[in-house]
Formats: sequence, structure tokens, C-alpha cells
Amino acid sequence: MSARVLVAMSGGVDSSVAAAILCERGYDVVGVAMRLAPEDPTPAIARRRGTCCSHEDFEDARRVAEVMDFPFYVVDLRAEFGARVIDNFVSEYLGGRTPNPCVMCNREIKFDRLRERARALGADYVATGHYARIERDAGGRFHLLRAADAAKDQSYFLFTLGQPELARTLFPLGAMTKAEVRARARELGLANADKAESQEICFVPDGDYARFVERAAAPQRLRPGSIVDLKGRPLAAHAGVHRFTVGQRRGLGLSASAPLYVREIRAESGEVVVGPREDLVAAGLLARDVTFVDPESVGADAIAVETRIRYRHPALPATLAVEPDGRARVTFANSGGPAVTPGQACVFYRGDEVVGGGFIERAL
Amino acid sequence: MRIYLDHNAGAPLRPEVRTAIARFSAADEAANPAAVHRGGQHARRALEQARAQVARLIGAAAREVVFTSGGTESNNFAIRGVAGAHPIRRKVVSSVIEHSSILAPLDYLAGEGFEVIRLAPDSDGRIAPAAVAAAVDTDTALVTVGLANAEVGTIQSVAEMAQPIGRAGAIFHVDAAQAAGRVPLRVDDLRCDLLTISGHKLGAPAGIGALYVRAGVALAPIMLGGPQEAAMRAGTPNLLGAAAFGVAAEAASAHLDEESARIAALAEQLLTLLVAAIPALRRNGSAVHKIANTLNLTFPGVLGESMLIALDLEGVEVSMGSACAAGAVEPSHVLLAMGLSRDEARSSLRLSLGWSSTAEEVERAAEIIARVWRRVRAAEPLTAAVSAGTAASTEATR
Repeated sequence: MSARVLVAMSGGVDSSVAAAILCERGYDVVGVAMRLAPEDPTPAIARRRGTCCSHEDFEDARRVAEVMDFPFYVVDLRAEFGARVIDNFVSEYLGGRTPNPCVMCNREIKFDRLRERARALGADYVATGHYARIERDAGGRFHLLRAADAAKDQSYFLFTLGQPELARTLFPLGAMTKAEVRARARELGLANADKAESQEICFVPDGDYARFVERAAAPQRLRPGSIVDLKGRPLAAHAGVHRFTVGQRRGLGLSASAPLYVREIRAESGEVVVGPREDLVAAGLLARDVTFVDPESVGADAIAVETRIRYRHPALPATLAVEPDGRARVTFANSGGPAVTPGQACVFYRGDEVVGGGFIERAL
Repeated sequence: MRIYLDHNAGAPLRPEVRTAIARFSAADEAANPAAVHRGGQHARRALEQARAQVARLIGAAAREVVFTSGGTESNNFAIRGVAGAHPIRRKVVSSVIEHSSILAPLDYLAGEGFEVIRLAPDSDGRIAPAAVAAAVDTDTALVTVGLANAEVGTIQSVAEMAQPIGRAGAIFHVDAAQAAGRVPLRVDDLRCDLLTISGHKLGAPAGIGALYVRAGVALAPIMLGGPQEAAMRAGTPNLLGAAAFGVAAEAASAHLDEESARIAALAEQLLTLLVAAIPALRRNGSAVHKIANTLNLTFPGVLGESMLIALDLEGVEVSMGSACAAGAVEPSHVLLAMGLSRDEARSSLRLSLGWSSTAEEVERAAEIIARVWRRVRAAEPLTAAVSAGTAASTEATR
């Protein structure tokens, strides 16, 4: 009997090709499309392309399963997604932080909840169309590596995976470029070969996060207040701290001689502190909920890493020291980095390898 | 070999039906029963023979049987046809546990200004005849009730509902799509005016059904065009489907008593084996008033969705509630109406047997179901986290 693998399929070209490749390699492929986002009450928005769970996308995934002749199911994980991803997204914004729901979805849904489901279905592996690589060394330890296609690399979103997860996960696209994936899709006759990439967060298809938070949260949870300058002088009123992101410049509604950036968000008092660009530069950061891909490979001493503090940012050389409380202190080697945004994931690399990561608590 | 336990969704073609379809396909006459020429006359003879066969299944006269495209069209025709023919009466009485092809036309009528009463069942899925009697009045155009429920198999005492309906001058429609061929049916015993039956539940192909229309009952056609089917339903009849339906109806009624006893014994055996293997397994629906082929079961501690998929991967085909447009399964509205919690409904599966079921299949299915249940429960326990999330995501839906 060949190994059974549960492939998470969005209907997009990546997960479709991933499933097809696993079929060709002789795996017993079972495709699943996940219902994650609650149904959008506005039909005009529900019809929009670019969301990951519209009916149309499920149909694309189903067609791939028909072409490759493997079983395919739609599974309803809306309750878990709501409790573990959307609620976290809303609370983070209300707390003045800028969450990364894709990291949470990977940690809580694809590589936790879906792994449970895989075991229930007798599957040995979970596979996705992520661009990242998994390697097993001679000692039996698993390593998480950047994708061969640097422009598509998604290892940043996967830092929460540990040894148990990596041992049971397959990323068939890790060694391929996006162009190769599209070419394979055309060879296979997959209808979605040239489908547009999804860019927005799947449950906020219109990209209006502030409005989403306002609709999801009870009004008393919102934190309106003042935009203040570095000396604490109020410049304007605002409708809630969830409307701001540290490092943001546009949409502040302020007129000043030099451009002003959000420097700090104080959710308790409702204060949004703004200042000029240079004030964003931080010497380092404090991260919480830090995990390592292979905890045995990390000692008690501080280690040199490169750290990415946003998905599209280059990795910055830094020193990483783990505190006794599970936080990590990251000190940048060079000054002049980008804005440190609380709530975002910071991921530690050594070369191509993901060492681990955590969530930014504050700049240092 | 796959084991098919989803007869309520549609039965495999009966051998007699396969033979009839093959014979029919081999004939060299084009066939429009309305055509004047000899070919048309032969087609008409075949259509009327099928009509007589279907009529015998339900104890009706052949001229009272109108062929349709299936149970859904028959139900739509009954509801919209009565509403259109009796524009003065503005009330319709039904229940909350009906099939979507009843519920959706009722919603349509409600949108048109009709008063729609949807009665709730008891915990067995039974509608009280007294509740029907209390709801019906001289403003009531139609009462529509499903004879056997598709999801739990509970049978309604429709004959006991008939008298007050008739006294009020309302039309009584019974959806017998799930009952036909499983229990003896005589429209005079049921005392109904309209009766829905469906071909593919009997082992004919999908795409053919019928509505029994008691002589003298007026219906406004919903399909307009030519004068086919005694001007009740326009469109060239589906002759191949009707012929197959006729053969299936005849096969189903030929040995109805022995066959329904055989299937009842198989279902009992399956239930006994499962109860022995799965502690706290619960059967939903009436233990007395039921079609014996249907087992609706709540599996403790697991998601029905996972069980359904895991069973399919092991070759056992069952179902759960109804599928949404995206193909995901939703908790059964029938189970919710019977008082099950959402979690209980989400842990429930429907196993439905039929003409193709065998004792060997039942034994194998019981072994596989018990094994899969143990695996799913161990791998993916139905924890508080799984179910408690619902409230949180609804908050965001608003």
C-alpha cells in the first residue's frame, strides 16, 4: 500500500500542481478543500476572485481531482478557523498589534487541525502547495529550508512547524519555480494554470481590515483615542487603534511639514504616537511565543541569525538570546532597519535554513 | 468491492431496468409519443404501459399519473400548481422537516404573500395529526407532508391527517419519494389528493418522476407549452426514463413484502452489530413508524464529516444531512428540528439500505464502520474547541 497523503487544495495553481505531482509519485492522494471563512453576507464580495474559499475555487480544485482521478472532499473548519484565527486577528488589532493570520492559519489549522483530520482519515502525511523545502538529515532530524524560488519563498509563514509536524509534511513545490509550476499545470491540462494569485487575506477579500474588525468586534472593545506626537501632544482624534499599524504613513489624516509615521500604538490609552521616519529605527526587538524547528539544535547561548520581521523584507543580521520566560531578545547587527511592527512574525534563519521564530512584542 | 449504503440518495439501477433500457436502446424507432405516425403510436403505447405500471405501485388509475422530471419537479408542481389553481385560499400547512424541494417552494409562496405554517415534529420526527387539524382552516389551499422522511426514515400517519384537510376543502399532497417501493402504498388508503414519487429512489435512472393527481383535482401547470400529459405538463415526455420507471415500479411492487422484510432484517442486523461495537451509539427517528431501510445514527465523540470521508476511503458510501453548494456537509435540519444539538447532528450519519444490499455487505460494513469510528475518535476527538468555535465565527459573520 502506498502512503496516503492529505493535500490541502485551495483551487489555486500551486496546490493543484502539488497534488498532481504527488499522484505521479505514486502517493495515495486525498484532496481536501477547507471551508474556513464565514460566508460573506454581501453577494458582491462573495463573488470576487482572490479569496481562497469561494465556491468557484472549490470547483477548480474538484476539477483537478477529476482530471487526476483522486478522491476530493470539502471539509468544514469554519468553527476552528473562527476561534483560532479570526478571533486572534481581531484581538490583535484591538490590542494595537498587526497580526499575521496566515502564520496562525498554518500553525492552528493546516498543521494542527488538518493533521488531526489526516490521522482520522488514515493519512500518513499532510501536503500543501507552499514554497518551502523539508530535508531529513542523516541523524533523522528534519530541517525547514527556503524554497528554491527565492521570489516565492514562503518559509516565513511556516516557522511554527516543529519536528513532529515536519516529519509528516510534504511540500512538493519546494524545489520548483513558479514558472515551472505554471508550466506543469499547463502540461497537465489544469484549467487554473494561469489563474491570478490570491493576495489578500482570504477572509477579508476587500482588504478593508478596519471595517472587518469593526463588524466582528463588539463596539465596547474598540479603542478610540488621540493621535499624539512624540511629546504626547494630541494632534487629532481617531476611531480606534485597530485602524493603525506601526510604520504606517498613509491615511493618518494629518498635515505636517515632514511626513509622519506611526511609531507606537498604546491600546490601553488609545494613543497612537506619530513621529518622523528616523524614529522608527530600532536596535532590536523582543519576541514572544518563540519556537524552534529543532529545539535540540539551539543551545542556551546567544546565536547569530538573520531575522525577517516582515514577509517581504530582507533578512537582517542579528543576535538572538532566549530569555527564561520563552521570550527572545533580538539585537540587530546594523542600525537603520525597517519599522518593527508588534504582532508580526519575526523568523530566524541561518542561511537557507529556518531556525525558528516568534511574534514581535515590541521594539527595543 | 464498494458497499453502497446511500439508497435514500438514489438506488443503483435494478437489473430489470438495465435490461429494459438495453432493449429500448436497441429498438430502431424514433419516439415522440405525440407523433401521428406508427413510430409515435408505438412510443405512446410504451409510455402508457409505463404509466400503468407506475399507477399500480400506488394503487392509482393510470390517467391520474403525470410524468415529471423527478421528485423535485413533482413537489414544485404540487405546491405551485395548487397555489396557482386556488388563488383565493392564502394558506399552506407543512412541516419543518420536509425535503428542500418542499421547503424552497414554500419559501417562494411566503414571498408571494401566502401564510405558510411549518409544523414542528416531536423527538421521533413525527408530526401530530392533531397539529395538522388545528392548523388547517377554510383559508388553507394545501397541506403538504412527507410520508417517509429521507434523513431519519420516520413515517407520518397521513391517513389520520386527511379528514380535517378534506373537511376544510384543502388539497392534501404527500411526498412519498422515500416511501414508494419500500412500504405498500395505496392513494385511497393514504387519502391524499396528490402524491410525489421519484424514479431513481426505486432503481430507475434519475430524471424521471411522477405526480399522482386525483381525478377532479385542479392544478395550474408550471411547465407551459404543448398539451402533453393531459395538458398538465408540457414537453415531450422522457420515454426512456418513463419505461425504466415503469419497470422499476413493477420490480419494486412484485415482491414488496418479502423484499422489505429482507431489507428490514439486514438493517436490524447492521444496527445490532454496530451497537455491540460502538458504546452509546444512538439511533434517531421513530422505532415504530419507519421505513426499515434507513438508519440515522449518532456516533459518539466524532464528527460525522470525518466519518463520512474516512468511510468513503474505506469503500463504504453513506451520507450526512445535505451537502451545501460547495459540497461540504451541513448538519441535518431534520435532526435539529427533532431536538438534537448541533454537535449531535454533526456527529450523525445516515445509512440507507436497498435492493442491492446483502448480508455479506452488512457484516463487512459493520466491521469497517466500527474500525473507522475507533480511529476517528482517537485521532480527532470531538473536543470543546471544535464545537465552541461556532459562536466566535458567527460574531464575525454579522
